[in-house]
Amino acid sequence: MSEIDSLKAQLESLQADALNAFAAAENLNALQQLRVQYLGKKGALTEVLKGVGKLPPADRPVIGQHVNATKSALAAGLDACETTLAEKEKIARIEAERIDVSLPGRTKGKGALHPVQNGLDEISTIFSQMGFVVAEGPEIEDEFHNFDALNIPPEHPARAMHDTFFVKEMGNGEKSEPMLLRTHTSPVQIRTMKRFLAEGGEPPLAVVAPGRVYRCDYDVTHSPMFHQVEVFKVDRDVSMAHLKGVLKHFLSTYFEKDVAIRLRPHYFPFTEPSAEVDIGCVFCAGKGCRICKGSGWIEVLGSGMIHPNVLQSVGIDSEEFSGFAFGLGVERLVMLKQGIPDLRLFFENDVRFLSRMGVNK
Amino acid sequence: MKIPFSWLKEHVALTATPMQIADDLVRLGHEVEAVEMPRAAVVGVRVGLIASKQPHPDADKLSLLKVDVGDAEALDIVCGASNMDEGDKIPVATLGTVLPNGLKIKKGKIRGETSCGMCCSETELGLAEDSAGLLILPADAPVGAEVGDYLELEEAVFDLSITPNRGDCMNVRGIARDLAADAGLPLNDLDLHAVALDASLADAVVTVSAEQDCPVYMARRIQGITVADSPAWMQAKLIQAGQRPVNGVVDVLNTIMLDLGQPMHAFDADTLSGSITVSSAQGGEPFSALDGRELTLNAGDLLVSDNASVIALAGIMGSEPTGVRETTTNIVLESAFFRPARISETRRVYAMVSEASMRFERGVDPAMVAVAMQRATNMIIDLFGGSASAVTVCGDAGNVNADASGASRKVNASVSRIETRLGIEIPVAVDDVLVRMGFALQRNGDALTVSVPSFRHDVSIPEDISEEYARVIGFDKIPELLPPLATTAPARQDRSVHDAVGAGFLQVINYAFISASEQRLFVPQDDLDIALENPISDAMSVMRRSVWPGLLNTARYNMNRQQSGVSLVEQGRVYLKNQKAENSHDEINVIAWLMSGDVEQDDWFGNARQADFFDLKGAVNAWLTLRGLTGRFIADDSMQGLQAGQSAKILVGRAEAGRIGRVDGDIASSLDIDTPVFVAEINLDALTTGKQAKFVPLPEFPGVERDLVFLFERTVSSEAILNAVKSAAGKMLTDARIFDRYDGKGVPDGFVSLGIRFALQDGKRTLTQEDSDTASQAIIAAMDKRFGAMLRA
Ligand SMILES: [Zn+2]
Repeated sequence: MSEIDSLKAQLESLQADALNAFAAAENLNALQQLRVQYLGKKGALTEVLKGVGKLPPADRPVIGQHVNATKSALAAGLDACETTLAEKEKIARIEAERIDVSLPGRTKGKGALHPVQNGLDEISTIFSQMGFVVAEGPEIEDEFHNFDALNIPPEHPARAMHDTFFVKEMGNGEKSEPMLLRTHTSPVQIRTMKRFLAEGGEPPLAVVAPGRVYRCDYDVTHSPMFHQVEVFKVDRDVSMAHLKGVLKHFLSTYFEKDVAIRLRPHYFPFTEPSAEVDIGCVFCAGKGCRICKGSGWIEVLGSGMIHPNVLQSVGIDSEEFSGFAFGLGVERLVMLKQGIPDLRLFFENDVRFLSRMGVNK
Repeated sequence: MKIPFSWLKEHVALTATPMQIADDLVRLGHEVEAVEMPRAAVVGVRVGLIASKQPHPDADKLSLLKVDVGDAEALDIVCGASNMDEGDKIPVATLGTVLPNGLKIKKGKIRGETSCGMCCSETELGLAEDSAGLLILPADAPVGAEVGDYLELEEAVFDLSITPNRGDCMNVRGIARDLAADAGLPLNDLDLHAVALDASLADAVVTVSAEQDCPVYMARRIQGITVADSPAWMQAKLIQAGQRPVNGVVDVLNTIMLDLGQPMHAFDADTLSGSITVSSAQGGEPFSALDGRELTLNAGDLLVSDNASVIALAGIMGSEPTGVRETTTNIVLESAFFRPARISETRRVYAMVSEASMRFERGVDPAMVAVAMQRATNMIIDLFGGSASAVTVCGDAGNVNADASGASRKVNASVSRIETRLGIEIPVAVDDVLVRMGFALQRNGDALTVSVPSFRHDVSIPEDISEEYARVIGFDKIPELLPPLATTAPARQDRSVHDAVGAGFLQVINYAFISASEQRLFVPQDDLDIALENPISDAMSVMRRSVWPGLLNTARYNMNRQQSGVSLVEQGRVYLKNQKAENSHDEINVIAWLMSGDVEQDDWFGNARQADFFDLKGAVNAWLTLRGLTGRFIADDSMQGLQAGQSAKILVGRAEAGRIGRVDGDIASSLDIDTPVFVAEINLDALTTGKQAKFVPLPEFPGVERDLVFLFERTVSSEAILNAVKSAAGKMLTDARIFDRYDGKGVPDGFVSLGIRFALQDGKRTLTQEDSDTASQAIIAAMDKRFGAMLRA
């Protein structure tokens, strides 16, 4: 066998061995070792090439072509196996990294707004969107703002019905004006109108005043502290029809359904005429159930046309302007909306209640 | 106030059903708390005649009865009572009847014997609280008749809640007047037959010196009566109306008060000495009230006195010694009009409520003073004998509620104005209803003049007239209209508590009042507390000056209920006297947090972890960052109720805005909380609004980061270290922070190893190794100089 034929035969067998070895490689690492073994500087192919120098110069190009062809074949074989192996390894890795996506994610503690806060937010937002401006006032009030300015003079029977908490003498020495915990948010009506006029304002004035109020009454259905929202509007020609329109819009928006409203004549010193407002029972759709005591109606708030004495007490001409006002109990509305049976739950602050009934916004 | 339907019908021939009447009352402004139906409640209970009575073969205390209820066959009834005999008539609840207590009568066997009904007691019929044995009916009761019909049980009793402005409706006739006017029915005339006077009797001698508070006072003597129990029909009437019978004279007066609204009083004439005076108290007079209280009266109280002592606190209560008893034979009757505000004030001062004072303080009908006197006299003489003197009259009822000329009060109004403000038209026909209610109306074009009847103290301005129209027309006739709505920019909502909730805290709301000892947990004793005059209890007696006591209570409540950890937030006000201005106070808006116990639960990815100072500090810092603010936490060992070494004040800008720290261990354990408790509080009113960031170009050239580790003495604060790093590293420093803290093996006692990572950047060029070397050298030198800190790596 001539030198050249012997070399050709060597190259062919090397190629066959190598391709077999590549195909048998179990992983990319093994394949890499085979690459070095066959194609590296000290690899099998280089070894074969050492024989080329012994060939006559005329034969060298011929064998050169064979060498290159072998090299390409090996490289192609390597690449193909590498692709296959990489694919296999990826699949294996993905399997190995498989997780149980149904396990819970990592979280911070679950926060929630108190249901009363959420109610206050919802109520204020509805009135804000109707153009009512939010106002606040002090919780420790004087008798003038809590009673007198609201047409409740000292001897008035309604004053006794308020179960007022009085504050111990705050001044030093001589007797100072008695202070009390406000029994309703209505004094904010007085303070807001006075401030508005003092700043040179003129009606229209539309205000929503949320806040805490206090009554000296503590049993299953009474809490000594609760939340009210006072709503009022003063303008020319404000009518009782407007009061009913605003009540209907508010109550329907709050309860997220078209609720029927019913006004019953009532008595409040600061409004004339005055009305208690009922809504069609949200539990039985007015058919009569245990909660509405079979009447189909549930009392939700007190309302009326602002008494002229109240407008006059802040310096608004009651001939020219009129207004409506109403005050609603936040806890009561939240209880009705969320089906909460007991007022006391709000202030017990049991986290199981709060995290279930509260809202995270 | 309870009004039996039959009593209403004495004044007006109502034809509507009780439920319709209830609806009418509501529409007219009288709240109906309940409609009781005593007769309907016992339908199915019939008069039965005991035809035979045998002992039960298997039970000593039971009897076997055959009871005739008018049907073809007598009923077999097993009965446990013992007070009945053959021939007695008794109420029998027949099969299917549901008794007032909810018991449904079914056919059954009792100890093997069939029973087809039940014999009833008063209690079982809802007629009495308790009773002994069966109700034995009179012998002439018709067998088979409905017992409710036979006993003439009330068809309906209306339980009304009368609003304080409607004193005229605190009696049957007032309610009847409203209903009659509304239904277009006539109100029956009152029986006003004259009293036969006994001319031989001396009149009562009365002097009224307090004419302002007592514009009308009438008195008369009735001599020679025998006080017996009032007749059964009157007692039944009183009981149905919710009143307890007392004695004959008192029952007559109460019946008239319930009927006409005029409270009256009777004195035992033989206990009085000399004449009667109505005057204002000088102050200091002793008074033995009928309810057993011994009072010392205040100046201005309106008194009725004889020559010896105070015999009544006018309009509120008589004196104990002068009251009418069973032995009384001679009486002085009083009927008067007292000024409402006077009665209201005195009643409040002594916390004394009587049926009389409730009516006087709302205003009685001055026209009824004489009528009531006449009726009471006739009734007493009819029932208990005796003879009456003439009436002594002081003052003139016609002047009460009248103008200066003595005419009734007039209100001038504009019909169109009333229409505009109600939002409805007023049909002229409605005027008739007001006329039937006692008003006199005159229309002259748009002008309306209304004369107000003497009993309507609540009507004096046009708005009162508008209310009368509105309730007569019906509030339901008023349309629902949206007023023109202003477009105002809504104020930005306060997100304080919302942001804390978003960070995982649960919002709680506690009462604003706490106990005096809770107040002292975190606030030193001074004179700025605001206490309540009339607290519900000692536990709710002082306005809080910190939200923490409430949060601690909430933590205790929940951790005692198997919560392993709590993260709470509360927003609200704290209250204290203002030191600078006399008689003024501050209400400060605060937000407060509490963390205790597990902040992380045992979980598939990790173990439970208890809250520490840095959990809460991180939360407070993140909360401040959301409002564009930065807080500085300055260690402060002097804060009451917080553990020294784990507490700090929080500075925002220059203002001291809050506090944070670990609750003193003794306080926590006194509340049975055995995990460390961390609290923070920020004064929302002290915070400025953070500014929105202005744009700064992002750096173009890469920066470098280096770590240095030093050994510091433990007492050195990381804030001081980082401040020193910042001033040493020069302008290129963009960040410096503690990235590692170690005080374990290899670190000497009293020392701590801190790793400082700092970053440099320059807007104009890429930084080199030399730049970071220079900064490192400066920092190392500064640490050595300032703190004597040694470089470890
Ligand atoms: Zn219902």
